Amino acid sequence: MSPPVRYRRLSTVKVLMMAADALWSNRLRTGLTTLGTIIGISSAIAITSIGQGVQKATEQKLQALGTNVLLVQAGVTTNNSSQGAATLTWEDSQAVSQQVTAAKAVSAFLQKPQVQVVYAEQKIVTNLIGTDKYYPEVKNIYPQEGQFLSQDDVNAANPVVVLGSKVRDRLFGLNASAVGADIRIQGERYKVIGVMEPKGALGEVDQDDQLYIPLTNMSARIVGNNALAGLAISGLWLKSNSEVYLDAAQFQVTNLLRLRHNIYPPQPDTFRITNQKDLINTLNSVVGLFTVMVVAIAGISLIVGGIGIANIMFVSVVERTREIGIRKAVGATNAAILHQFLAEAVVVSCTGGAIGVGVGIVISFGAATIFQFPFVVSLWSVATSLGISCVIGLLAGLIPAHHAAQLDPIVALRSE
Amino acid sequence: MTTMVRMEAITKTYCLGEVSIPVLKQVDLSIAQGDYVAIMGASGSGKSTLMNIVGCLDRPTTGEYFLEGKNLTTLNEDELAYIRNQHIGFVFQQFHLLSRATALENVMLPMVYANLSQQEQHQRAIQALTSVGLSEHLAKRPNQLSGGQQQRVAFARALVNQPAMILADEPTGALDTKTSQDVMHLLQELNEQGITIVIVTHDRDVAAQAKWIIHLQDGSVVNQACNSRL
Ligand SMILES: Nc1ncnc2c1ncn2[C@@H]1O[C@H](COP(=O)(O)OP(=O)(O)OP(=O)(O)O)[C@@H](O)[C@H]1O
Ligand SMILES: [Mg+2]
Repeated sequence: MSPPVRYRRLSTVKVLMMAADALWSNRLRTGLTTLGTIIGISSAIAITSIGQGVQKATEQKLQALGTNVLLVQAGVTTNNSSQGAATLTWEDSQAVSQQVTAAKAVSAFLQKPQVQVVYAEQKIVTNLIGTDKYYPEVKNIYPQEGQFLSQDDVNAANPVVVLGSKVRDRLFGLNASAVGADIRIQGERYKVIGVMEPKGALGEVDQDDQLYIPLTNMSARIVGNNALAGLAISGLWLKSNSEVYLDAAQFQVTNLLRLRHNIYPPQPDTFRITNQKDLINTLNSVVGLFTVMVVAIAGISLIVGGIGIANIMFVSVVERTREIGIRKAVGATNAAILHQFLAEAVVVSCTGGAIGVGVGIVISFGAATIFQFPFVVSLWSVATSLGISCVIGLLAGLIPAHHAAQLDPIVALRSE
Repeated sequence: MTTMVRMEAITKTYCLGEVSIPVLKQVDLSIAQGDYVAIMGASGSGKSTLMNIVGCLDRPTTGEYFLEGKNLTTLNEDELAYIRNQHIGFVFQQFHLLSRATALENVMLPMVYANLSQQEQHQRAIQALTSVGLSEHLAKRPNQLSGGQQQRVAFARALVNQPAMILADEPTGALDTKTSQDVMHLLQELNEQGITIVIVTHDRDVAAQAKWIIHLQDGSVVNQACNSRL
């Protein structure tokens, strides 16, 4: 007469099916119960996905600028303007180019913001850069039309100019041909010899909204002398052989310039170095912090959702006390009742989790389409969300289900 | 004839705070296999309490209960659940059907816990409902059935696991005379098939059908008589 083992436990599939049945027969309440989980999971999925998409987009942009590039600027770190003290010279850039072994190419530049440029009736104000023929290679930006400044242009301080694509658009009209035309920069006549490919803006610097003239020509306009010797430059760009050598290059440049300028500890550098990799790392840490915050918020909403599930399960147990009595009267064991209610809680929260994943994916896909960044959904975030929602269901159902299982059949049957 | 139920000095006492209320006092009871017993007595005399103990829904405070020779006093809850499932069919005055489930699903319920295959559950439930004359109403919910029909669904559910004994606590209490007679016929038939029947009733006509009548008064058996009709 003792119960066979198979009597004690119903199969998990059967229990889950019964739970789904019971939940389906009370659709409205089930729907409302899942809402907390849906909101928690969908916001977690959407925001991590959007965060990853934005991060990827920004990384791609930075990558396009080159991840193996250093910017060395004259002047001390305190003010952010490009007109720092004249602490770097043409000779410094030559020394860096010759002595820094990790450097593949070096380009010196002079920079002047807010320069007036005129073509026919069009008058614009833009950023003027005097540089050399290495600029395209170092900055990974090439002419789309015509050519860049040559060594001859620099040697002879020729009055020639290469336009950024946006400058061309503003002066000549969208994608109009500009090569061969004459423009005036601060009243002086220059011949357009090339137009650069568009690269897009990153932060405040819009690479497409710039003009390039020979370094010597620019120095002649600023200091009245087109000799390179002793020329104070705004800074230099350095491209290392690969990303791996960037830190080495930075170290070498720092040492070399400190030596050349007779700077000894504890005196600070008279120049500042910006490392593209630092930018990416900063970006990553910002995105990381953002993600942590979002996950925390999603976690809180999941906990609230879990409490909601627990609440509804308690109500459900009270409401179905008579049902529990009936089930026990016809032979349900405590374990069978426990499993039934646990399964209901888990099914509710997993369903909520699954719907939440779907909603989150739709939201992030929409955002990616509207704001034009890559659509990324990591399997990791989907799996974690589903796992967490199931665990929350289990935890939320535990106490109500235990309560249901312990009900005395007589007491339960008598309730109305 | 073998003994189905043997109770020795069963007591049931409820404690309400300091006060203890004796509901059953030293009840001795013996029911043979194939017997048909009616329990009568005034309201509050302890009939339902006794039935619940016989049906393993409740435990006595003291005393020993043997079902088919096995002492149930020491069994744990799971073992009692198994006995309720396999050996006893219970029919209640209030029917106690699952209101959201169909007649068929209600009858299948005991087999769900017996872990029978879906197909067998289906087949046996239809058979049980047919045997109580409800083959036309398989898909109806309790609120779409009359009281008599609901009680017959309850009987089908009690029968479906082929128990040795059917316990019915005032099965006709909520029914009119005509439907009561149907239920009585059903009980008679089941008894003729060899199933042990115990019913609680206030109705003399219903009790008259039983082989034995046990009278309870204030928790004690005052009279246990072979039915005069027989
Ligand atoms: N859980 C309980 N706590 C306290 N007293 C109880 C409890 N259950 C039943 N009683 C008491 O036990 C006594 C017997 O109850 P029982 O339900 O067995 O009577 P009954 O003979 O079935 O009556 P009726 O004919 O009205 O159904 C009653 O006085 C009742 O108040
Ligand atoms: Mg009663």
